[in-house]
Amino acid sequence: MLKTFAELNFPGRLIAVEGLDGSGKSTQIYLLKRWLENQGLKVYFSEWNSSELVKAATSKGKKRELLTPTTFSLIHATDFADRYERHLLPLVRAGFLVLCDRYIFTAFARDTVRGCPPEWVRGIYNYAALPDLTFFFKADLEVSLNRILDGRPQLKYFEAGMDLRLSTDPYESFRIFQGRILELYLAMSQEFSFQIVDANQSVEAQQAVVRQLITSRIDLESFRHNGGMLPRPMPSNLKTKWRRETIEEPSLEDREAPH
Amino acid sequence: MATRNHRGTLLRRPRGPSLKSRVVLPQFTQHRFFGHGVPGVDGAKLRGKLIVVEGADGSGRSTQIVKLVDWLEASGHATVQVGLKRSTLVSAELEQAQEGNILSRRTLSLFYATDFADQLENIILPAMKAGFMVLADRYIYTLMVRDLVRGMDETWLKNLYGIAPVPDAVFYLEVAPEELVQRTFTKNAGLDYWESGMDLGLSRDMFDSFLEYQGRMAHQFRRLQKVYGFTIVDGHRSIDEISQELTEKVEAVLVGKNSH
Repeated sequence: MLKTFAELNFPGRLIAVEGLDGSGKSTQIYLLKRWLENQGLKVYFSEWNSSELVKAATSKGKKRELLTPTTFSLIHATDFADRYERHLLPLVRAGFLVLCDRYIFTAFARDTVRGCPPEWVRGIYNYAALPDLTFFFKADLEVSLNRILDGRPQLKYFEAGMDLRLSTDPYESFRIFQGRILELYLAMSQEFSFQIVDANQSVEAQQAVVRQLITSRIDLESFRHNGGMLPRPMPSNLKTKWRRETIEEPSLEDREAPH
Repeated sequence: MATRNHRGTLLRRPRGPSLKSRVVLPQFTQHRFFGHGVPGVDGAKLRGKLIVVEGADGSGRSTQIVKLVDWLEASGHATVQVGLKRSTLVSAELEQAQEGNILSRRTLSLFYATDFADQLENIILPAMKAGFMVLADRYIYTLMVRDLVRGMDETWLKNLYGIAPVPDAVFYLEVAPEELVQRTFTKNAGLDYWESGMDLGLSRDMFDSFLEYQGRMAHQFRRLQKVYGFTIVDGHRSIDEISQELTEKVEAVLVGKNSH
């Protein structure tokens, strides 16, 4: 029943990255975004848990440890719905390459580990189309843990799965929690055709794999701004913020009328 | 509020709370959830009762809940009240988001579901475990009806609200949209944007939109009533008449006869 954006005949494509915290996926999708932008392609980037509308509630819930597995799941589902209906879907329909740092699979894995019934979680996200390409960055647990700890002195409460009471030691808790998430990711990888990238490799080696796969799967030329032409120079009397935006992101009619 | 004489005829109590000293122990009934429920919560441990009052703004819900609480507490039962948009977690954020009119229908729906789940886990379920009478000023039915009117998928909604326990009694105070308008204008000077369904674009005229929207809401409530079998209460009668009906039905719930 679930279809990809391509199968729904939308002009844009959506690429998602998934993986454990500290697997290096955010670095990879950032480099991917820079690469695509530098080619003058229409790119939009969206991060899990970043909707302005929901952010305040989520951070309050996390800070004050108010969240249960159910409300943790629902608040992230609200965040996703807001981003999906206001950004992801309209941009794919407008012919953009949409890059997502985490997609519905994050919820499938995390919420299930927290004890929510998997059918319930999947049911909540069943309106969302599947990515056209999903990269899964598979790193050893120790590698992930070290990458997380290099960046900051302490593990965060929910990141370490401390709400599950797996262990009173945050490091031990993190190890068990992330280990269970990894199992669920791997169990999903065939069903959702994850492209598994060995995330123990160097940043450059991983990026090379990602770029190669995207080039072979997606006709990047068709995502060029303005049908392959550079954006038109802006008349100086139109240099308002609104005008600038409309010129940088031309409407479909503009693009399809090259004559 | 009424008592019965030795012939079983109803007697209207003149005024003030009941002074009876005998406290009726509520009969235990097994609770179940609409779907999977909430991780780690056993329906068999929910000793209290869940009583829901549904109805549009101006249908007399709050008045009836105040009367029910008075009567229950006078009869020796501990009560707790919940309602929509009252959670610690998201009520302020939800209120703020609604000001801007930038919410998609699914975001709004999930925001309300989060608000409901937060109260469910922090108030409703703990109170029921402790044997309290929980009075809900609106429940998942209003949330579902609002979304159904906005064209959302019923199966999706049923899955979402599978977390909710099945109430012991649900009263839907039914009042005709034309009467709701009159009552709203007696209380406030204007119609509310969301209660008029203005986001649906039914009409630019707020008055027309209100009537059309409330009519559609009532239609969906009637349809859900057939599925969930809740009690439709004629909200056009006097406050005391309605209160008497509700009190009798809640009394029946306490002795283990659920109203549906």
